[in-house]
Amino acid sequence: MSDTKNPADLNLALAAATCALLGIGATEPVAAAEADTWSFDSSLLYYGESDDRVQDVSAAISAQRKFDDERVLGLSLTADTLTGASASGAIALDRPQTFTSPSGKATYTTQAGDVPLDDTFKDTRFALNASWTQPLARLYTVSGGLGFSTEYDYTHIGANLSLARDFNKRNTTVSAGLAWSQDDIDPVGGAPLPLAQMLDVGQGGNKAGSDSKDVLDFLVGLTQVLNRTTVLRINYSYSDASGYLNDPYKILSVVDPVTGDTLTRTPTAGLQGPTGVYRYENRPDSRVKQSLYAEMKHSFGAPVLRVAYRFMTDDWGIDSNTLETSLRWPLGGSSYIEPQLRYYTQSEADFYRANLVAGQPLPQYASADFRLGNFDATTVGVKFGHKTAGGNEWSTRLEYYQQTGDIPSDQIIGNQANRPQYPDLSAVIVQFGYRFGLR
Amino acid sequence: MRCGLLIASVLLLSGCAHVGVQPWERDVLAKPEMSLDADPLDAAIDDHIYFSKEASSGGRGFGGGGCGCN
Repeated sequence: MSDTKNPADLNLALAAATCALLGIGATEPVAAAEADTWSFDSSLLYYGESDDRVQDVSAAISAQRKFDDERVLGLSLTADTLTGASASGAIALDRPQTFTSPSGKATYTTQAGDVPLDDTFKDTRFALNASWTQPLARLYTVSGGLGFSTEYDYTHIGANLSLARDFNKRNTTVSAGLAWSQDDIDPVGGAPLPLAQMLDVGQGGNKAGSDSKDVLDFLVGLTQVLNRTTVLRINYSYSDASGYLNDPYKILSVVDPVTGDTLTRTPTAGLQGPTGVYRYENRPDSRVKQSLYAEMKHSFGAPVLRVAYRFMTDDWGIDSNTLETSLRWPLGGSSYIEPQLRYYTQSEADFYRANLVAGQPLPQYASADFRLGNFDATTVGVKFGHKTAGGNEWSTRLEYYQQTGDIPSDQIIGNQANRPQYPDLSAVIVQFGYRFGLR
Repeated sequence: MRCGLLIASVLLLSGCAHVGVQPWERDVLAKPEMSLDADPLDAAIDDHIYFSKEASSGGRGFGGGGCGCN
């Protein structure tokens, strides 16, 4: 049963016992002994969707400074560059479709038979986070954080505070936390009025200025050591968002009730503009999400299995289930390979509609955003890591993400049945990581 | 509902008092790869990708910054 025959394992066991006797946090007793050091975790990520959709290159670095008495400062910086096209929400047709771009200054055209993608999208995002963790009393740990991110049309500020208490020889940790954030949205061309129609280039009146939303999150968690090789975490979280929750760039096609084709529209003489009738989406201005998350790690000697499950439900009618698993398998003394698998499934929002039907009264809320639809997603990946002689670690991760959805059959009208409906998505994720320390 | 949750939590916690290990039995749990936060940067990246592409987010902890992701 015991694997402390190895001197290194014996050292670990002794260090753990010493830390526990000294009352130092037991979750990472060995790391805790390394005070006054900086450690860094960096990564370079490429995320690329098929069919010239979203491409993202992202660089991130996080730094952690450990001080005496278990106090830890964390800082992280992320920069993202996004380009490419994103499904607009309009349906495919047997004829080309022209749309006014979000800026209201140009048009773009989708070919016959294709799911319309808005390719005017380009953005750079910077995010900065800082956190501080320290013991408050012998068994309590408090941590707080501040976050800021900015992109062309979006600014986010956030703050969080958590308190954790250890019980039962530090085998049990109970934590509770609160987070608040405020996001300001300044959409290109302005925030469309709810369900307003898309107009010709240069025509105004269907958009207002900027808007904002607030999000309050509450989380309680329990971490439990089950035995010498297994640890379990269970979290319940509650999130309340209010304010502008629309995606300002998403639209719906207005279709004929019999043929299911988008109503045609002729741009005003001398102007460029949409060749069909399209309306901007509108979502409720509040959303309450609740989720239950459970995660377990188990060591089979050297290999480590991780299994995590999340159930989420919200008052928009969306329920989702997520199952993640990975197995970290050592290769020799300094490398490992880790296959990873994730399965996600969600039901559609109550107000999700593939299109709006001409002649029927406009609903209060409607969105054709595929992310609010009914879909499944699978991620298959593998990570390889290697620890250098100096104790630093580099890693490579390769993943493939595939999303497959469907439109409720009662929403498919006439000719729509013969065309691509849900904009299925596949993406490749490549990540390089390097961890290093400074003393 | 809240009262039920509280009772469940207390029961869970008192049940937890009977499981766990002694301080000198933490050799395996002390390994970095056994930490539940072993790869925080990977976790943050995954959260950001899935937050941008799916209707669900969070669960593991607080998110690391909103975005107007398309």
